[in-house]
Amino acid sequence: MSHDSETSTGSRKPTNRSASTTSRRRFLAGSAAVGATALAGCAGDGGDDTLTVGHVLPTSGTYALLGESIMNGFDLYLEQNDGQLGGYEVETVQRDTSGDTDTGVSITREFLVEEGVDALVGPVSSAVAIAMMQTVQQESSAIWLNANAGDYRVTQDGCMDLHFRTSFNDWQTSAPLAQWVYDNVADNVALSYADYAFGQNSKTFFQEAFEEAGGEVVDEIAAPLGTEDYSPFLGDIEDSGADAVFSFFAGGDAVNYITQFSDFGLDENLTQTGSGFLLSEDTLPAQGEAALGKYSLLHYTATKETDRNQTFVSNYSGEFDRQPNVYACQGYDSAQALDIAASNADSTDASDLAAALSGAELDSPRGEFSFDPGTNEPLQSMDVREVVEGDDGVENEVVATIDDIELPDWGCSL
Amino acid sequence: MLAEFSSVLRATMLGIQLGMTLALVAAGLTLIFGMLDVINFAHGSLYMIGGYLGVTIASQFGSFWLALLIAPLAVGVVAAAIEVFGLRALYGRNPLYHILLTFGIAIMVQGLVVEIWGGQSLRIEAPEMLSGTVSIGPVQYPVYWLFVLAISTVLIAAVWLMIDRSDLGILMRASAHDTEMVDALGIDVSKVFTGVFVFGAILAGIAGVLLGASRSVSPGMGFGVIIEAFVIVVIGGLGSFKGAVYGALLVGLVTAYGALIAPSVTDIFLFAMMAVVLMVRPNGLFGATEAA
Repeated sequence: MSHDSETSTGSRKPTNRSASTTSRRRFLAGSAAVGATALAGCAGDGGDDTLTVGHVLPTSGTYALLGESIMNGFDLYLEQNDGQLGGYEVETVQRDTSGDTDTGVSITREFLVEEGVDALVGPVSSAVAIAMMQTVQQESSAIWLNANAGDYRVTQDGCMDLHFRTSFNDWQTSAPLAQWVYDNVADNVALSYADYAFGQNSKTFFQEAFEEAGGEVVDEIAAPLGTEDYSPFLGDIEDSGADAVFSFFAGGDAVNYITQFSDFGLDENLTQTGSGFLLSEDTLPAQGEAALGKYSLLHYTATKETDRNQTFVSNYSGEFDRQPNVYACQGYDSAQALDIAASNADSTDASDLAAALSGAELDSPRGEFSFDPGTNEPLQSMDVREVVEGDDGVENEVVATIDDIELPDWGCSL
Repeated sequence: MLAEFSSVLRATMLGIQLGMTLALVAAGLTLIFGMLDVINFAHGSLYMIGGYLGVTIASQFGSFWLALLIAPLAVGVVAAAIEVFGLRALYGRNPLYHILLTFGIAIMVQGLVVEIWGGQSLRIEAPEMLSGTVSIGPVQYPVYWLFVLAISTVLIAAVWLMIDRSDLGILMRASAHDTEMVDALGIDVSKVFTGVFVFGAILAGIAGVLLGASRSVSPGMGFGVIIEAFVIVVIGGLGSFKGAVYGALLVGLVTAYGALIAPSVTDIFLFAMMAVVLMVRPNGLFGATEAA
């Protein structure tokens, strides 16, 4: 009941998020009909002179904040480019998945079959992404810009030429930290994680890399997703005798875990490290001082002092009156990827777009970014961040950047 | 896996603390049912409103204590509005109406909370004087958690005494037992009903603020706690205050020990326990003797 009640509130009707783009589309369709002009990129595609983008994202439920941030980032890039990507007018359709698998799949099908979208952006949840794979493959009518769902199995089991990860995969947010922890923190760790696919994957990837680096994993502690009181699990961590902990928790779990970790005095003998979602822009305000001195790994850090990022941050906060988070960056880069694809392909055909985007580089606020031509996974640098006192509460500070990370290919070769 | 002594001690303390705090929520639920015959699905929302108002008050005025005082009272005002303008018209009708109304309110409150405070998790800053840990045997335990345990226990004991010993308690029990007779004796029963509803809500609001500083405050917390509270009330016996307290302790301890032994099946075990109690004692552990 607690979860399903959230799904029922989702809107069932498709909404056009921008009335002006719709009217523009009608105008353009009209002008094409009288044959007055053949617009660039029309490619004899029956008046297909707009690029239709379908946002398969949650705007209600647990992941609402993530979905909205992705759309904000996407909109920002679109606005900076006068509503055009690759020379095409963009029309956006959006419907609320509320993070639900079945809803996500039916929205995907509707976008592909009825709305005829050229690109899908989303989803947030990996469960939704895995369920969407078959439909996207079957229709093969749109390029899929995966703006968050990080489960490596989308590449291992799907290995689709239409699928591009504009975000990250779960290997990237855990394994590369292992060597850094071994070199800088401790040679033995306990692992604690939320007991579901993403947490388990992160734990396994870290463990493999840490043992390969020469470290020892002394204990692993799984807490059910949505645990509110971590005291028994914290006891196990303390009793393990480890010098450091690597953890995967996100959202409310991360808030509860980190604050209780500190409340129970574990900071005295243990160094907390984790995947970036453990200590992110959306959890830090609630975690407060409990987060200080803890390390995490992520591909985007809003406080990163590069010119590219500072420009993005000031544009974003000027537009939306708040700091961008990692999801906003992923939405922004999804729009950018589509811009490059459409511009290089000079077409809105799915396979043309995908071919044009393969191996492409993005000018991302996060730092270096290009698509691995073999898997369409992002090749990107990862930031090791430490939580420090900032002007306005606590914030992440980049203490190291790990470059040239070689990704596994999980048997996928495009 | 054989748990060590320190783990067992830690889990026991968590279980008792969880039990006493959950009892604050379950007490309101069971009192409201006992008196008004209303199954209040919105009770978890009242707990959640307590948590969110606590966040706002604590951050605006920088005082946890002010939040602990004001937020539950504000929850009481909300509850009064729900009782007077919503439930009052439905007393004596099919319980389905009560469920529809209170469930609807719960969904509305959840939507409103997301609108006002957003979907991310928030937290109340615990007071400085209650920070740090103390050693209890081999276990380091946070001072704040001990404070929550203490204040919840004191409150539950006070409510117990009030119901059992005071004139007000007698009036409450009498109104539940025979509404018409109490009415005929010249007492405004509708005021008693409003009072009980508001009182239950204030207890839930206090629990919301107390736990809002040790756990996060999030839009899902209302539905989360109402399920736990229902399990407690069904095990203890619908309408029985004593049952709610013992049921809450049982659920708290099972949750805490479950995390030690088999975290992934703790919820299943709780519901199985509820099913067994229902089969063996359909009125709950204390329902048959005390409920009207």
